[in-house]
Amino acid sequence: MKCEVKMGLQTSNFELQTSTVVLGLGNPLMADEGIGVRLVERLAASAAEYPDVEFVDVGTGGLSILYHLEGRRKAVFIDCAYMGDEPGTIRRFVPDAVRSAKVLAHRSLHEADLLRIIDMARQLGQAPEEIVIFGIEPQRIEPALGLSPILADRIEEYVTLLRQELGRESMI
Amino acid sequence: MSKGTVNINVHHVTRIEGHGNIVLNANNGKIEKLEWQVPEAPRFFEAMVRGRSYEDIQTIVTRICGICSITHSLASTKAVENAIGVKVSEQADKVRILMHYSEQLQSHVLHVGYLAAPDFFGVPSVVPLVGMAPDAVKTIIGLHRLANEWSDLIAGRTTHPVTLKPGGLTKFPTEKELRALQERLKKCLPDLKVVAEVVLSVAGNIPKFDRPTEYVALKQTNPPTYTFYHGDITSTDYDGAVAINDWKTVANEYVSDQSTAKWTKWHRDSYAVGALARFNNNAEHLSPTAQAVAKMFGLEKGNCNPYMNTVAQLVEAVHVVEVSIQMIDELLTKGIKPETVKVSPKAGKASGCVEAPRGILFHEYEFDRKGHCVGADICIPTNQNHANIQKDFEALVPQILDEPEDQIRLKLEMLVRSYDPCVSCSTHMLDVKFVR
Repeated sequence: MKCEVKMGLQTSNFELQTSTVVLGLGNPLMADEGIGVRLVERLAASAAEYPDVEFVDVGTGGLSILYHLEGRRKAVFIDCAYMGDEPGTIRRFVPDAVRSAKVLAHRSLHEADLLRIIDMARQLGQAPEEIVIFGIEPQRIEPALGLSPILADRIEEYVTLLRQELGRESMI
Repeated sequence: MSKGTVNINVHHVTRIEGHGNIVLNANNGKIEKLEWQVPEAPRFFEAMVRGRSYEDIQTIVTRICGICSITHSLASTKAVENAIGVKVSEQADKVRILMHYSEQLQSHVLHVGYLAAPDFFGVPSVVPLVGMAPDAVKTIIGLHRLANEWSDLIAGRTTHPVTLKPGGLTKFPTEKELRALQERLKKCLPDLKVVAEVVLSVAGNIPKFDRPTEYVALKQTNPPTYTFYHGDITSTDYDGAVAINDWKTVANEYVSDQSTAKWTKWHRDSYAVGALARFNNNAEHLSPTAQAVAKMFGLEKGNCNPYMNTVAQLVEAVHVVEVSIQMIDELLTKGIKPETVKVSPKAGKASGCVEAPRGILFHEYEFDRKGHCVGADICIPTNQNHANIQKDFEALVPQILDEPEDQIRLKLEMLVRSYDPCVSCSTHMLDVKFVR
């Protein structure tokens, strides 16, 4: 299988699809909210090691997440998450282990609840058989470039955990 | 509450991109206040580009929008090229149009499928549609994917293109990639027909409301084309054509107390832009399948029901796919050839214009002899629709004032959504509680 990296210029084969997709969510203009995007960028830098994995910066893509899930065996989401933990904490969980505390106004395509998107994909029969979420507790969410030091200092730890995830078989 | 007494304050309207409010206060059939308000803060892009090189303009102004980023890129690049006197090759011109069509498909599919369809089915969002019309939702998701990957291929990525530069493109798709794209476009035409049939099945829920309106769009006569990219400015009230550099004589922007966005008017006190405007000016040049879809809905030139803009978008989605299949044939017949373009700065001032999914878009720049920007002016389609939305409100509300308040609110919200107004983004993060 050919590796696809949709960071910057996407020049790969138009039709091939990898069985695993890693989706980084967030907005790097809002400080720690951008952790998912920063981590998927880091992983994509060594994409050649993962020929059957596509790394996608979905940003604040909302409903566009749906089409990235179709036809995959596994999806790994990386996102900033309020989990009630210490800032900087990373937790690996599956969608069924949590319930969303978000209230949606259905204002726009960008407003999305990841858990609801996953649920939609399941209802449509388009969800991967394995879905894993890595949540990172933020310290600050506000208009600012760059992560807060408490998260920035732990980037290598996060990358190591994610690389372990991509190196192993299903744990569910 | 007695009939004709309503107090509606929608703050903000949902399922549009950006923030707009609807205010309606009526007492015993007398309308006391009726406003379409736009409270968005100004964004100062025209100031941001001052002092920047002509080479940087597109990279900056594409950030005006996350939905129409290709459109802003093309309008600004055309304006820059006009200002410094650069022509692009026929090959680059075709590939740019192909890029532009990817955004038309993407934007129209999202609006029809995710934003407008819930109104037709009487639900608050696309989420319940998964249970009501799963096959249609799957089809929309597939089309969304195709449109985004089409943008990836030609523009370098889905949002904020990186392959455009004054004088041409930094990268052309390979012939192999174009053939793969063409195959997928051919396969998606039946999918678009499925979407059209599903929308037709609920078309009875599209409100019936006509208001004679001036519709403004690009018009291309040589060759006659259903154009999104080349041509001059025309309208349904005007037989001639206005040169792009004279767009200010069309827009006639002015300030309204109820809006932070400027309003526009030409031959009447407002005009409309967008899919229905293009249709009303150019429908005879639609592709055969697009014409057939228009016929399914009884959509004919001269239609002045703003709610039908969504149907016109569906028609255009079919059109751009069908003509792109043909354009790829033309590109492949000649073969993709490498291009090297050298562009030198010079002093000049000019405009560029393309049709955004939601209507005609104008960019104007002036450069000094070193190619530094000394002035900019941008007029986006949603601005051009604001006054028309207000005039629609004023014509519609007296006709529906006796209806239940919820019904009035829904019709006003649907009317705003039918224009597919577009503005901005916010933060998106998980907020969860562990249950095990």
